[in-house]
Amino acid sequence: MEKILHKERIDDWISALTGWEVLSPALEDGIWAYRPVSGAVRLDHPNTTQPPKGLAFPQREVFFSFEQIKGEAPRLTQILPDTVQRAVFGVRPCDGRGAVRMDRVFGDHVEDTYYQARRKNVAYVGLACNQPPSANCFCLSVGGSPVSTDGLDVLLTDLGDRYFVAAVTETGKALMTAANSLFDEPADADRQQLKSVHTEALAQPQRAVHNPDAVPAKLKASFKSPLWEELARACIGCGICTFLCPTCHCFDINDEVTGSAPLKGNRVRTWDNCQFPDFTMHTSGHNPRPTVGARLRQRVCHKFQYFPENFGMPQCTGCGRCISECPVGIDIVSVVNKVVEHAG
Amino acid sequence: MSEPETYEPKIVAFLCKWCSSAGSDLAGVSRIQYPANATPITVPCSGSISPLYILSAFNKGADGVLLSGCHIGDCHYIEGNYLARRKIYLIKELLEFVGVEPDRFRMSWVSAAEGAKYAQVVKDFVADLKPLGPQDKLKADRT
Amino acid sequence: MINVRDIRDAARDLLAKGEVRAVIGYRRGSRGMAAEPVVITAPEQADELVWDPTCFHNLALYLVEDRKFLAHSRKAPGAPIAIIAKGCDARAIVVLMQEHYFKREEVYIIGVSCEGVGVLDERKLAGHVPGTPTDAAFEGDDFVFTTPEGEKRLPAREVMADRCLECRAPFPKEHNVVFGEDKTGRELAAPFAALARFEEQGATERWDFWRRQFERCIRCFACRSVCPMCYCDECVVDSITFPVAPETTADEKANRIRWIERSAVRSENITYHMTRAMHLAGRCIDCGECERVCPVNIPLRLLNNKMEREARERFGYEPGASIGAASLVASFNDSDPGSFIR
Ligand code: SF4
Ligand code: SF4
Ligand code: SF4
Repeated sequence: MEKILHKERIDDWISALTGWEVLSPALEDGIWAYRPVSGAVRLDHPNTTQPPKGLAFPQREVFFSFEQIKGEAPRLTQILPDTVQRAVFGVRPCDGRGAVRMDRVFGDHVEDTYYQARRKNVAYVGLACNQPPSANCFCLSVGGSPVSTDGLDVLLTDLGDRYFVAAVTETGKALMTAANSLFDEPADADRQQLKSVHTEALAQPQRAVHNPDAVPAKLKASFKSPLWEELARACIGCGICTFLCPTCHCFDINDEVTGSAPLKGNRVRTWDNCQFPDFTMHTSGHNPRPTVGARLRQRVCHKFQYFPENFGMPQCTGCGRCISECPVGIDIVSVVNKVVEHAG
Repeated sequence: MSEPETYEPKIVAFLCKWCSSAGSDLAGVSRIQYPANATPITVPCSGSISPLYILSAFNKGADGVLLSGCHIGDCHYIEGNYLARRKIYLIKELLEFVGVEPDRFRMSWVSAAEGAKYAQVVKDFVADLKPLGPQDKLKADRT
Repeated sequence: MINVRDIRDAARDLLAKGEVRAVIGYRRGSRGMAAEPVVITAPEQADELVWDPTCFHNLALYLVEDRKFLAHSRKAPGAPIAIIAKGCDARAIVVLMQEHYFKREEVYIIGVSCEGVGVLDERKLAGHVPGTPTDAAFEGDDFVFTTPEGEKRLPAREVMADRCLECRAPFPKEHNVVFGEDKTGRELAAPFAALARFEEQGATERWDFWRRQFERCIRCFACRSVCPMCYCDECVVDSITFPVAPETTADEKANRIRWIERSAVRSENITYHMTRAMHLAGRCIDCGECERVCPVNIPLRLLNNKMEREARERFGYEPGASIGAASLVASFNDSDPGSFIR
């Protein structure tokens, strides 16, 4: 299903989505974040600081609560996610592709009940990047594209005063059908303009990983390279790069005690982070990834070697967030290039 | 927010072992009537209090936190309460800075002989806390 | 004005003569125009060093890293390590020495004065320059940016970091060698100006403000990781808050105090940030790095500034002023305020 939507009608479309909570990028406290829509939606954002990943995989979620009265068996109460349907407007293609990867991780080998319950209620209305939204975009190097529809339910392309709206999935069609009368049929001129806008978008200069196909093998050969320590020398071991990543998915599970008589609390899952020094710390005190170099290698090889080995695609989607936000300029594109170059 | 009839504020009272804890015992054995809202925690010295104890008490649901030690000049460790005075001044300022009601935190000097003073400090604290209602700014919101 | 060649010459010379074993400095990064920290060990690397408005990082952090590395590898330090330090960075180094983290003779401070300016706040740049600038340079009281549309000159104070506008000591008093003029007292903005503006609000507004900030924190710990004063091997917020030995029992592990839960929710975030502010009282030298790195824009400087101003006004304490001074919370005066105590 392909349609034309005049820009001033986007708010009417959103209001027509009864039964959906609609989110769109908003500039709040100096950062772009997905927020429930209030007022007019104008999709003129760069990329958001955080991807929409948290809607399906929140930074914290409660699995179940527990309570034990002395002498009795512990009582567990499962806590399932809410069932609100959420449509996210303005998702960039790299983040749509991020969702594809998350779906594989939490669906391929084991079905993660909590993730799936949330995921099936989220729809992504993407926005093609006519211009790279960040100076650190490199989606073309990781099999993506500024007009990719992977993982999206709808793709909008900005044609000046109107959007070209293409449904990608059945959910996408349903979102469009909910407001049928607002859309126009695309004319030939619209299709032509779409084509030229997409061609131009694909021709925009980006950062580049050189020879991407060779990367997994070269990384594999570089596991023991001394370069890792050197390249990670400035790394401060914070969690920015992975907490802002659309595809990082490591987590930790803890019991949070909320009361002692009777003993009660919650079992919660929170994001964890391979760049934190204690991520791999064993109870014995031994740490198999004791240095910044070992941790940088883990992050880079997971994205560019292990994930391709396991799932046949790079995990990184080229959004550039970890580059833009790293406090000390650790730059995944140049790290990959340097290690690959060094491997010869 | 406040329920003046039924609401009883929970107070965590950090009392130094040498003076204020003994002072509270004296209040007890002297059968001085004072509210039972304070849960005492004996600490070696007012100077041994980490600001984290105070924040943690609020996090675990205290409506008010009291810290009490020996009078200036009487510290068993000579200068522990001088150090406390400085450190606690800072945490008190910080609490107010982020918008926590100043009356939620209190510090006092109570000697081992001042059972009556201890009772009065608790009485006043309870009276000041009641109108504020339950403390929920720093309380764990992990449900 | 500082000529970067002087800095390079000094570094090259020190390394060539073996007077230092490494120089911690700045070089061009690969992310846009921003400089990045670098540790050079050979004289010929000195030409990589840069000095421009994007040298915002407080490199004292890497002295801490170096110290930890040496301690861990049980290596004798040998020659001192050199570091390029702005006024605020040098104050950080003084605090570290005051706390006996390392000795004065183990560090060689190559001071750089900020003169009439300071460093760039990249967030302020939006709307001031077209496109993404590829280079930034000091020029008197201006910054000059190279942009896709040519050179763009801006008065530095329009895009400088707040901490630099408010800086009282833009000159590294503690140094072995120093470049640039001492313009202490230049007064670009009143000290604690942002703090004073914030405090005009009432308690309700202040709480609404902080609640919002703390709810947003994602606990990436960049603020802690970037801070040269946050050098503890174990932090109260980490899951490892006590050493686990083979003889540690399961009960002991289960019953260890978890002061702050891992959940990035308001109450835990607030406990983290307030504890950190307390641990930095009298130690934070206002390099503003925590605020710069925060990916969600939490104005952390306000908390630290509050402590700094209280320390100054109530206790006459100036962090980073003297290696020999007693630390703020390990000292006292008879005249310390006490009227708040009943
Ligand atoms: S690479 Fe950068 S963002 Fe990631 S942990 Fe290191 S310093 Fe933090
Ligand atoms: S805070 Fe002062 S010394 Fe530090 S960079 Fe800014 S002006 Fe320079
Ligand atoms: S840098 Fe910002 S988001 Fe990260 S832990 Fe610090 S305050 Fe929170």
